[in-house]
Amino acid sequence: MAGVGFRRLAKTLAKGKGPGLSALLSGCRAASGMSKDMIPGPYPKTPEERAAAAKKYNLRVEDYEPYPDNGEGFGDYPKLPDKSQHERDPWYNWDHPDLRRNWGEPIHWDFDMLTRNRVDMSPSPVSWSSMCKQLFGFIGFMLFMFYLGEKFPSYQPVAPKQYPYNDLYLERGGDPEKQPEEVKNYEI
Amino acid sequence: MAEYRETPLAERPKTLDPNEYFNVSLEKRGAEEARAAFRANLKRQYQMQLNNPHRKELIEDPALTNWVQARGNIYPHFRPTQRTSMFGLAFGVVPLFFFYYVFKTTRDWKEERIRSGTDTQKYRLTS
Repeated sequence: MAGVGFRRLAKTLAKGKGPGLSALLSGCRAASGMSKDMIPGPYPKTPEERAAAAKKYNLRVEDYEPYPDNGEGFGDYPKLPDKSQHERDPWYNWDHPDLRRNWGEPIHWDFDMLTRNRVDMSPSPVSWSSMCKQLFGFIGFMLFMFYLGEKFPSYQPVAPKQYPYNDLYLERGGDPEKQPEEVKNYEI
Repeated sequence: MAEYRETPLAERPKTLDPNEYFNVSLEKRGAEEARAAFRANLKRQYQMQLNNPHRKELIEDPALTNWVQARGNIYPHFRPTQRTSMFGLAFGVVPLFFFYYVFKTTRDWKEERIRSGTDTQKYRLTS
């Protein structure tokens, strides 16, 4: 069986110590997977680790900033500024023009969210508070007016439809010999 | 209009950034040069591979590999802390109880209405 860490796993199992199920699950990784340097490592603590991580991700050591180590599983992946692909220069000669990205450039953690089809974080022409106020003000106003209209309906005055010829006596199959009762629909 | 304010979802454009125009120090320009050198090197690598007439395989992007592996291997670096446990509870446990309660109550109301005959809805899309 081609596995990385197989011997270590076997040793821990044989010893009988260890946290049990979690050792079984994470002890051995298939050798057909990634090599250890491609998988993000743990949060870098020493400056040498930082330099190595910056080199791995093609960043300058000063620019490299990992996510804070609060157990959320980022490891040493760099924290790039939150800018969407919409803002990047459309006229620059990118290697991948649809993604506005060059080959080998470190990818933002939320890259799939920041593509040009999705979230746009580019600067807005009007301030955010003004936009919020306008949108929610309009929606709130319309909802309020619809609610009022539901409570106090107003429509054209209507009455049941009035038919001529004594309520269409003959058309409705009344006897032509008999004299129908007089239906008066008006008042002069 | 001159007072452009940044907000969480709308950042300051580079042409309105005062640091571009006022704080032009040697270190900053040195940093920009170093970044440009990195970029140029990567571009060169890509172009060499792209225009290589003997290349038969796909050009592999190590940054993409790193990203994919990082997104897939979150568990090895996961640590149960107070914050992560809060998230786990809020998204994993609370919805169960909340939705059970909501569905049970609304359907009990409907059952009561149907049984007592006060149900006024004649046509239902969801029976």
